[in-house]
Amino acid sequence: MSKQMARWGMVIDLDKCVGCQACTVACKEENNVPHGSPEEQMRRREPYWNRVIAVSEGKYPTQRVEFIPMPCMHCDDAPCVTVCPAKATYHRHDGIVEQNFRRCIGCRYCMVACPYGVRNFNFKDQVKKEYLRPDLPPTRADREPWPFPQRIRGVVEKCTFCFHRIDKGLKEGKKIGIDVVPACVEACPTKARVFGDLDDSNSEVSLLLAVRGGFRLREELGTHPKVYYLHS
Amino acid sequence: MDLTYLPIEGKSRAYRTMVAILGIMVAALVISFLVYYLKGMQVWGISNAIPWGQLITLDIYFIGLSAGAIVVSGLSYVFRREEYKPIGRIAIYLGLLIFIGAMVCVLVDLGRLEKFWRLFMYGYLNNMTSMFAINSIWYGGYIILMLVYLWLALENKIRLAMIVGTIDVLWAIGVHTFTGEIFGLVGAREILHSPIKPFEFIAAALTSGTALLIIVVVAAFKFSNRYIDKKVVLSLGRLLSMIIIVLFVMVFFDKLTHIYVPQRQGTVFLFTGPYWWLFWIFQIGMGIVIPLIILFHPKAGKSIKGVVIASISVAIGVLGERAAVIIPGTANVQQLYPGNIEGVWGTPGIFLITFWETALALGVVGLVTLLFVLGLKYLPLLPAGAKGEESKPAEATASESEADSRLHQGNNLYEA
Repeated sequence: MSKQMARWGMVIDLDKCVGCQACTVACKEENNVPHGSPEEQMRRREPYWNRVIAVSEGKYPTQRVEFIPMPCMHCDDAPCVTVCPAKATYHRHDGIVEQNFRRCIGCRYCMVACPYGVRNFNFKDQVKKEYLRPDLPPTRADREPWPFPQRIRGVVEKCTFCFHRIDKGLKEGKKIGIDVVPACVEACPTKARVFGDLDDSNSEVSLLLAVRGGFRLREELGTHPKVYYLHS
Repeated sequence: MDLTYLPIEGKSRAYRTMVAILGIMVAALVISFLVYYLKGMQVWGISNAIPWGQLITLDIYFIGLSAGAIVVSGLSYVFRREEYKPIGRIAIYLGLLIFIGAMVCVLVDLGRLEKFWRLFMYGYLNNMTSMFAINSIWYGGYIILMLVYLWLALENKIRLAMIVGTIDVLWAIGVHTFTGEIFGLVGAREILHSPIKPFEFIAAALTSGTALLIIVVVAAFKFSNRYIDKKVVLSLGRLLSMIIIVLFVMVFFDKLTHIYVPQRQGTVFLFTGPYWWLFWIFQIGMGIVIPLIILFHPKAGKSIKGVVIASISVAIGVLGERAAVIIPGTANVQQLYPGNIEGVWGTPGIFLITFWETALALGVVGLVTLLFVLGLKYLPLLPAGAKGEESKPAEATASESEADSRLHQGNNLYEA
């Protein structure tokens, strides 16, 4: 039962992040999110379930640049869940904010309401060459269980905390956060990302937060994100 | 004052040309809809940075026009002001048609419009904390109320029309309040988030609705050679100037609240960013300053021409105001982390005006206008001329009265 009460969260150490975008690519590969043309990228039409933004402060000799990796924050009080008219976005029992493509009517209200801009609209039918792994079909029939076998045009998509990995790991009795982690955590070369149960006081995420403290993005909005950042 | 209403003959060359042009616009609507439905929204100007574009702008503009027209119709049917009686029916009809146009806009704007029925599964398959789900009650009820109201007005059931009209006027205000709340409740966007938004929306609705009604009434009466008292138009002009002042107060204090506090980045972006012209030229210039100057000008404010020009300015200005809510409101870069966000994630969203989206928006305008023009021909909306002036205008022929009686028979059939 304790597993069902888990509250999955992520801790990202900004001191370790080098901005290599391995998480972005790993996410695209894992979830078969297509990569767009440079033109689509410029016009902010390419879907990114995870992105790394660079934030600078100061002028050249003393300029300081931070890389902020941004998956969906999976807020406890998520504005997107409140505004979704079709119950397409909802909290799972373990706190993951889920997006159901079959229910989504494509009104894009959640994209307006999201304080972090992590939601993406699917503007067109994807063509095979746009996928990072064109050898794999968009249907994930040959891979791990994934509830939405087909990418649908005209709906909103976003990061799922790789819940298909979590669900499969739990079924096989593996330890989530140690044996099984989301694709971005797995791919991080500097181990800047840690995934685990925020309610379990022995999990690595809880220990890191207890020792080093942490902050969340746009905390003043009261959305209570489950993605924490560490900064020295 | 007892008025006889007659449909127009609709056989002139100008009328036929107009219907033909509007028919082409409706065809453009159908074609551009098919293109977007088959190719996806990549043919539009929207992006992940600016998720809502021309169609939603037009949608809230239309909802505002409709609410404004219905409230003005209330002057005739609810408050029983005799001088507004000639424009009562046409105001209700306009309100209904424009609202249908608004619903076409919002449906077409859905990414998967075949799933729109989910909005109406109250509490079961939809989420009642969403403003869209709540608005499905407001919008659905509004259409039904307007249909009943129009029917009662056409049947001259004045007492019942007064009751339904009262409910409808209040409902129209509710409709627009909650339309404003769609934006006012979004806490993540500085430009949108405001408790005063619903009231600002109502004020904008009343200005644009009154302005459009003035334009349509003057045009319809002019082209059908019917008689309208100059005083009606001038008093609508005075009403317009009063509501514009209310709108100005709302906008002023909304922006003052946002610019006074240190967290003013969003409002500064609205004032000085790449979309400054939407705010300064359209919303403030054409929506408020120019019409007020004209309406308070001792000469221009007393002429029908002046009032109509002021109304056109308001109608365009309020459309710009709606765009100034949606496009800069979402294009503004959110302050995710202290500092300057580099690259594409820190650039304000770019909205391109694309052909297919514009064609679709113009097509909806064409559809509404076509229904309106056809309505003038097949429904008795315009008064034949006030009693005591000319008993019957020159072109009121037998065929018109026949059409009129046919219509009444039709209505009687419904009753039976």
